Amino acid sequence: MDNIKIEGTDRSPEIDFEFSNNKFSIRGESYPEDVTAFYGQIIENLETHLSDMDGGNVEFNFELIYFNSSTAKVLMGLFDTLEETAEEGVSVTVNWYYDEEDDTMEELGEEFAEDLEAATFNMKTLET
Amino acid sequence: MSFDLFKAEGEIIDNAKAVLDDGKATKTTIRNEFQSLLKSYQKLFKESRRLVRMSDRNEAQLSQVAKNLDEKSKVLEALSEKLSKYLSPQVYELIFSGERDGGLMTERKKLTVFFSDIKDFTATTEDLQPEDLTFLINDYLTKMSEVALKHGGTIDKYIGDAVVIFFGDPVSRGIQDDALACVRMAIEMQRRMVDLRAKWLDLGYERPFHMRIGINTGYCNVGNFGSADRMDYTIIGGEVNLAARLEGICVTDGITMSNETYMQVRDHVPADPLEPIQVKGIARDVRPFSVRGILEETGTKKRFIRKEAEGMRYFFDLERMDPKRRKRAAKELEKIVTTLRSDD
Repeated sequence: MDNIKIEGTDRSPEIDFEFSNNKFSIRGESYPEDVTAFYGQIIENLETHLSDMDGGNVEFNFELIYFNSSTAKVLMGLFDTLEETAEEGVSVTVNWYYDEEDDTMEELGEEFAEDLEAATFNMKTLET
Repeated sequence: MSFDLFKAEGEIIDNAKAVLDDGKATKTTIRNEFQSLLKSYQKLFKESRRLVRMSDRNEAQLSQVAKNLDEKSKVLEALSEKLSKYLSPQVYELIFSGERDGGLMTERKKLTVFFSDIKDFTATTEDLQPEDLTFLINDYLTKMSEVALKHGGTIDKYIGDAVVIFFGDPVSRGIQDDALACVRMAIEMQRRMVDLRAKWLDLGYERPFHMRIGINTGYCNVGNFGSADRMDYTIIGGEVNLAARLEGICVTDGITMSNETYMQVRDHVPADPLEPIQVKGIARDVRPFSVRGILEETGTKKRFIRKEAEGMRYFFDLERMDPKRRKRAAKELEKIVTTLRSDD
């Protein structure tokens, strides 16, 4: 699978999916005009890649400042996929980066963490 | 592309429908499907609650941002309102509407320039207390500025008791109309001064101001002069100096204009020619004209009626008298007339 690198914009986050190293990250703000158009292909590629894995390690980094409800739905689906991957025996680590003054992102991270049991979820404050 | 945000939910509904439609489904199958449906519903319930919370949080944040922006906007509005007092309204409007850049830029344009000052200002005011002088000068400049703005003049600056106004930039109605607006403004100013003097005399100021006016039409450099850090929107050029010079030779309560201005307004404004003069920096002889009949009755109502003589003094401010008050005043005057006549 080819790596995916998409520059961030005012409305969409930076996407950096290194399939070769199993290292993935989403950074920035996310309220694209068409969530399906923005996330559709990359999520499909990710799901295909993860379902093909047989053991190994996956690291997923989130560094989000703001996201809308549609993006939240995408993220919840993504966490389901990561949890299922972990249940299949892959070691999955999710790092949720947030600004220590951003209570909203901290609370959202804590809520997402509740859904993950097989995958490891780490809350990390951003170094300023 | 088969990506669908609600793909999982769609599949659950389809499965549930299929079981319901299957006439041969066993109790166990139905029970298993029901359990699956419940699990999915619980998940959906959790997600819905999370999304509602998130939506509320976002809404609260946006509301706070909007409130902060509103407050900042009010502060900026108040600030620009204060700053606007330092600019001519036309210039303020152009800058704040974005039509004009704030850079150092000038252009050459034919303008009509107005220059006025108070005759014998220093001698007239030397006995005045600073507070009285402040009141008089502010009252005078306020009323003159009102007239200037009414006629569309760009108030360039106040230099002590002197006022510089020009017509033709940033907005022009054409050279002729600009000149006519300027002369009409000057006539109205002199007429307004009559009322002002009546008011000032009534307030106890013994030597009220008299104004002299010079007007010239010609090519000037207009725009932002100064440095990138501090600039003035103003006019410069020999034609500006000529307006000041014409003011210098003007009679008290009069208006003197150059031949160039007179040529633009002669069909509308009567004027008498004066002796030609020479002005430093201008090669040609300047032929001035004095506007005639400035204070003649125009049919417009006067605001103040005032008369003072030995043993008699009266003052009426007609704007402050409604019909009832006027009727009462008329009755009082009739009584006075009767008293005065009875002594004959």
